[in-house]
Amino acid sequence: MLRLNQMKVHTKYIAGLIVVIFFVLCPLFLNSERSYFIYFLYTTFIYITIAQGWNLIAGYTGQVSLGQHAFFGLGAYITAITWRAGLTGYFDPLAFLLSGTGALLLAAIVGVVLLSKLRDDYFSLGTLGIGEILRVAALNGGSFTEGAAGISLNSTAYKSMNHYYYTALFIMLFTLVVIVLLIRSRVGLALIAIREDETAASANGIPVLRYKILAFSIGAFVTGLCGSLNAYYIFHVHPPGVLSLNWVVIPVLMCILGGAGTFMGPILGAFVLSIAFELTSIWMPEIHPIFSGAFIVLVTLFMPSGIMYYITNHKSMIMRRLRLTVFKWMNQKA
Amino acid sequence: MSYFPSLAVFFQIIINGTFLGTMYGVAAIGLSLIFGCMQVLFIAQGTMMILAAYSVFWLVYFMSIDPLISILIIIPVFLVLGWIMYKGMFQRVSQAGPSSTLLLAFGLMVFMESMMLFIWSPNIRSVKTSYSTSAFQIGDITISVSRLIVTVVAGIATCLVYLFLKKTMTGKAIRGVSEDRVTGMLLGINPNRVSAITFAIGIAMAGVAGVATCLIYPFDPYFGFLFSLKALIAIAFGGLGSVGGALLGGIILGILESLSSYTISPGWADAIAYAAFILVLIFRPQGLLGKAADKV
Repeated sequence: MLRLNQMKVHTKYIAGLIVVIFFVLCPLFLNSERSYFIYFLYTTFIYITIAQGWNLIAGYTGQVSLGQHAFFGLGAYITAITWRAGLTGYFDPLAFLLSGTGALLLAAIVGVVLLSKLRDDYFSLGTLGIGEILRVAALNGGSFTEGAAGISLNSTAYKSMNHYYYTALFIMLFTLVVIVLLIRSRVGLALIAIREDETAASANGIPVLRYKILAFSIGAFVTGLCGSLNAYYIFHVHPPGVLSLNWVVIPVLMCILGGAGTFMGPILGAFVLSIAFELTSIWMPEIHPIFSGAFIVLVTLFMPSGIMYYITNHKSMIMRRLRLTVFKWMNQKA
Repeated sequence: MSYFPSLAVFFQIIINGTFLGTMYGVAAIGLSLIFGCMQVLFIAQGTMMILAAYSVFWLVYFMSIDPLISILIIIPVFLVLGWIMYKGMFQRVSQAGPSSTLLLAFGLMVFMESMMLFIWSPNIRSVKTSYSTSAFQIGDITISVSRLIVTVVAGIATCLVYLFLKKTMTGKAIRGVSEDRVTGMLLGINPNRVSAITFAIGIAMAGVAGVATCLIYPFDPYFGFLFSLKALIAIAFGGLGSVGGALLGGIILGILESLSSYTISPGWADAIAYAAFILVLIFRPQGLLGKAADKV
């Protein structure tokens, strides 16, 4: 039995490794400047990262943040402003680090204030407010943020799509590794304990606030990294672009679609939703948002807890139904 | 721009803010009822408002029905719509927890926004009536007729909902379920029926708010989300789950916005509203009115 379990874990690792190697090799087979597939993977990686960041605070710890776009936007703005001031350059690791740290600090400060005072829906609303305040601040920032027009960056610095692709892949893998390590450690258990019952967790000696802030900050850090990368990709940082609610809504959707509080959920959800969005925008460009909305409604109606839960809970039922239909079909034949 | 408005200007700002705020307030009442009864943050509320506004636009355009009369058509239609939405979707999903209902509401919002975009195009529309531009003066203060009408309509709608909740058996059941769902069920209340009624009323309130909006403001399909946010802030000001509080919260928000756009700058008005919102959440999570408010 033990051996079987170990084998299962090994196959998981091997499958993961194969997928990662496939992603690494992709640009070698495809022309990354032109390939739509590379662009698709790039955006999906970014969404997976943000979704996992949200998953840590909302899925595992149970504190539903709706302010992830604040961290994304802050990361993008820090990158743009430091580059414009000449402090950092194009694809500067320092810029990434600064953006991530800036987002982390914002999360820590916001976290100390909001997480200590607010619970449940109130916390969600508070974080939503933080994002909106940042957006208005960027709009009214004068020459520092250049208002609604935003900061235009030197787009001649562009080298190749491969840079973006591999950076996104790296950030995603970094996030996934951090999340796995966290979740398997004492910290992960503490986070889940907080989600299940805060009072009981605190009674058992878990420093609830500290762990909540930790999860919130780590999620913000990786989201800030994504914002930074996005600034380099778009070469234009403006409030409707980087501080759009889409940067919180879409990853959250992916997370819930896949199953919040599971490791594979956000990854699965990100791929499913991205593919759905892309296919509809190719086939029915006129009405694709209608389809996207209807898709979300249908999924919540029929799989309200996400794909991962559906699969794990209904594994035997799915198989049974499959067998039954095959059996009936065979009987009819005979 | 002066930092200290004269008395007349000050009153003008307060009155304009009140007019603006009643619209937020009516939308907030619907949101607050729905949240109180079934813990659903129905963020598509603003989009429902805009849907009502477009319906009025068509009624005026094709059948030249006055917007005020069209309220009588909008309310029953939206009541039925709300009932269907609850029975068809939210009843199923509400068992799965709050994040699923939030997601469902969001999906509905995207769906309706893009449907409206498809049917009515992204162009900004407005509804013109014979009284759109008329106004009268009291002393130095100008009062727009259409805004006054909107405020009166909002007031009537609020009173009706309040009376419904206070005086009827169904209203009592709604309040009971909002306070304690399990106890309500033990006392023989069917929570699904009550929730469906609440949802229908909430959506109908969005309809009323939508008619009010189209009388005053030009609108486009994306406007809805902004109104949902404003309604949420109004609820936080007034305290969750109270009818009077939601209306008052909306009015406070409206006045705050008008005052800050006059004294500071219109660009910062939103940020100040959000900052006040967060401060209220932190220091007075029961709402500005606290326990003094009638808990409905």
